[in-house]
Amino acid sequence: MSDKRRPRPVLKIDRLAILYETRKGDVSAVRDVSFAIHRGEVLGLVGESGCGKSTVAFGIANFLDRNGKIVNGSILFQGQELRGRSKETLRHLRGNQMSMVYQDPLSALNPCLRIGKQMAETLIVHKNMKTGKAQAKCLEMLKRVYMPDPMTMLARYPHQLSGGQQQRVVIGMALLNNPALLITDEPTTALDVTVEAGVLDLISDLRTDFDTAILYISHNLGVIASVSDRVGVMYTGELVEQAPVNTIFATPLHPYTLALMECVPRLGESKDLSYLPPIRGRVPSPMNIPPGCVFEPRCDYARDICRVKHPQLRQIAEDHAIRCHLAERIASNGAKKLKKRTPAEQTITLETTYDTEEPILRADKLKTYYTQRSNSVLSLIGLGTKRHVKAVDDISFKLRRARTLGVVGESGCGKSTLAKTIVGLESPHDGEMEFLGLDIMKPVRNRGDALIRELQMIFQNPDSTLNPSFSVGHQIGRPLRRLRRISRHEARKEVNRLLEAVRLNGSYYNRVPRQLSGGEKQRVALARAVAAHPKLVLCDEPTSSLDVSVQAAILNLLLELQQEFEITMVFISHDLSVVRFFSDFVAVMYLGKVCEIGPAEAIYSPPYHPYTEALLSAVPIPDPLAKQKAIRLSGAVPSALDPPTGCRFHTRCPRLIGDICAEKEPPGADAGPDHKIYCHIPLTELRDVEPVVTLSED
Amino acid sequence: MLVRDYMTKHPMMVEPEMRVLDAQRAMGENDVRHLPVVKQGKRLAGLVSRGRLLIHPAKLESLNVWEISRYVSDLKLKDVMVPAQDVIVIDKMAPLEEAARIMVNNKVRCLPVVDEDGNIEGIITKADLLAQLMEMLGARRSGIRVTVRMPNADGEAARLMHAVGAKGWKIPAICGVPSPRKPDMWDAMIKVRDASRQELIAVIEGLENHEIVDLRET
Repeated sequence: MSDKRRPRPVLKIDRLAILYETRKGDVSAVRDVSFAIHRGEVLGLVGESGCGKSTVAFGIANFLDRNGKIVNGSILFQGQELRGRSKETLRHLRGNQMSMVYQDPLSALNPCLRIGKQMAETLIVHKNMKTGKAQAKCLEMLKRVYMPDPMTMLARYPHQLSGGQQQRVVIGMALLNNPALLITDEPTTALDVTVEAGVLDLISDLRTDFDTAILYISHNLGVIASVSDRVGVMYTGELVEQAPVNTIFATPLHPYTLALMECVPRLGESKDLSYLPPIRGRVPSPMNIPPGCVFEPRCDYARDICRVKHPQLRQIAEDHAIRCHLAERIASNGAKKLKKRTPAEQTITLETTYDTEEPILRADKLKTYYTQRSNSVLSLIGLGTKRHVKAVDDISFKLRRARTLGVVGESGCGKSTLAKTIVGLESPHDGEMEFLGLDIMKPVRNRGDALIRELQMIFQNPDSTLNPSFSVGHQIGRPLRRLRRISRHEARKEVNRLLEAVRLNGSYYNRVPRQLSGGEKQRVALARAVAAHPKLVLCDEPTSSLDVSVQAAILNLLLELQQEFEITMVFISHDLSVVRFFSDFVAVMYLGKVCEIGPAEAIYSPPYHPYTEALLSAVPIPDPLAKQKAIRLSGAVPSALDPPTGCRFHTRCPRLIGDICAEKEPPGADAGPDHKIYCHIPLTELRDVEPVVTLSED
Repeated sequence: MLVRDYMTKHPMMVEPEMRVLDAQRAMGENDVRHLPVVKQGKRLAGLVSRGRLLIHPAKLESLNVWEISRYVSDLKLKDVMVPAQDVIVIDKMAPLEEAARIMVNNKVRCLPVVDEDGNIEGIITKADLLAQLMEMLGARRSGIRVTVRMPNADGEAARLMHAVGAKGWKIPAICGVPSPRKPDMWDAMIKVRDASRQELIAVIEGLENHEIVDLRET
């Protein structure tokens, strides 16, 4: 029987076009976007930044900036046209039937109102509810979003909550009025993977309970794969492909979708075996959109027709729409298999001879504490007891030449402090640290130029790394002049060579940072870091603020530079797939301690430390068919000011074995060559644990 | 089987100030027959059905054609809706049969589902109940559909189930009603899979006082 009742969609968007009026003329941000969302369905919208995802969301809720306007198309919400409605009607609608959750929960909450008051306000204003009753409803909702200890939460201020809790409050608030449509714009992007996994679980629970239609916007393919029923891929303001989630991940047909999926490292892939093909070029500015297919300049399949004729969105199979002239050809050639990448010529393998050499970086029982001033009177006269935030506590590792140590862990685990300590920006409290046999316990200002030259750092945010008032050439040239004593004339040549090495060219020499895109700025930062030919580069989340396509390019570049200059690297990231791809060794950190350290492939398969296991189970995997264990850590990382006794992880550990965890610090157990696990559970038991992630076969 | 699980959540809702003309068009375009009218958020203010939008000819008799068009275009939903106090509603925790009983007894085709404050939580219509009836009778699943008439006495239905169950056949649907116009008899409908027609007939004929009223394969 096929008489399926297909109810009317909650939201139906037809040929929507939005433009922004600017001084340089109208900029069309969204063109010809059509989709529908039904009750209890999640539509994922994915694409690089600047593709108009958020503009669509703002357009629906009519939250566009003053210069934004909807110029064409219709927005049918619950069967009624939203375009041209009065502000007042739209406000009512937003309060009662439509809700929004944005990326940064802290800016969505009023910092000077208690959570309880803030949540109740929605009910009191929109539903004329009595205060007492509204409070009771809020409490119920906080329980529904799995908020720990909801009663006390009501009396707290937003800043007293962790990021995940704040986002739970925002989601709870959004659902208080039982909306028919929930628009979520990158709701988990600012959160840790472990917290993100919890929020994603919550969203999928809620949509079945409340039958809410959800528009989920994200740039993260893994997240999209795990929450969506259908996926729309946006590029330069157009919807280029739309299909059910399993179809789009199994047989993506649009070259852009294909490229997007290929450039993210998948969990389990390493640099020895695969190569991340980046997407060349960048998203065109909406000011000059190519006349033909918008993706043509970056497309590997492009033909003459693509340059001339703008493709229309068309149905290629039932429920699979695509905007490409060559869809049939790509489909019949058998879309490239994404899952199995075979080692190609381009893969970068490192010489194994280094393994026998002496390590160039060695840390032994390294401790970095931040002193916390106490408020007592005694401390005023210097007699108070000092308290310490133990950001890095007793860490030992060795790193050989041209190898990469990946460092992972939730935020607040001391990853960045470790990097800053090595580079000398923080002074260690205790322990030993040697680099090329030299003691590097001194802070950077006491280090000689020769040492500074060997240690360089790349930061997360390229905007704040580069001085906005100096040209690119000047900034790259500075370490050359300061550290390598190269003459002005020679430096210019060298800078040009470096620019070439990071795939920029001489024309960038005189540009200033604001004329560059995020990816280009990061390239410049990279060029500057390697300019002085350092032996060790510390990368602190170098790709987190970048789009996946740019991330792929930067990672490839880092690998090439590493090979060319034989650079040793410490690579910090919260993205476990990227760390697996990039690193030879991985250290998993929790509250200043190392839980597990060892060769990358050993970390990602059993035996696991329970914390590693939990982290892996939270990684969003861009494959809807992959099976993943659901281990969710409760609560936030405890304060490092007063860390738990015994094993630091015991307060959140899902595999707690007894009092011993709370009393004794776990000894390191050798789980293989160079592989150490710090846990009380016997290794034989940890070995029997099933792998967290099972990728789909075929 | 509670109203909660079978109602339509987030139904289309309109405001009392909406023009009848617009409501008529919205109902046509969205293929709905009932529109809950809400004010102050989602508080039920009334209900409009297609019948309510018809204008009694007597009302128009005294008007000329220009006045008619003005009258029609000025007409608001609040003028024609069934006001909230006259709308029969139901709680979402009520069982499905209660919803059916209320609809049958009051001859209404739909019941708005409201919470204790009168906020709309959903709507349940005849179509929802029929859809559920269809599921109960196993319309989507294939098998041999057999109706057995038996005395209306304790243990009779159990005997039938026991006999069929003992064979290990799958039973995708099962339901029973008092026989039409025969108060002392009971009709049980079961759908059986993995059984052949002959085997099933043999099993049922082996039961005393059980008679096959109808047997077909679906």
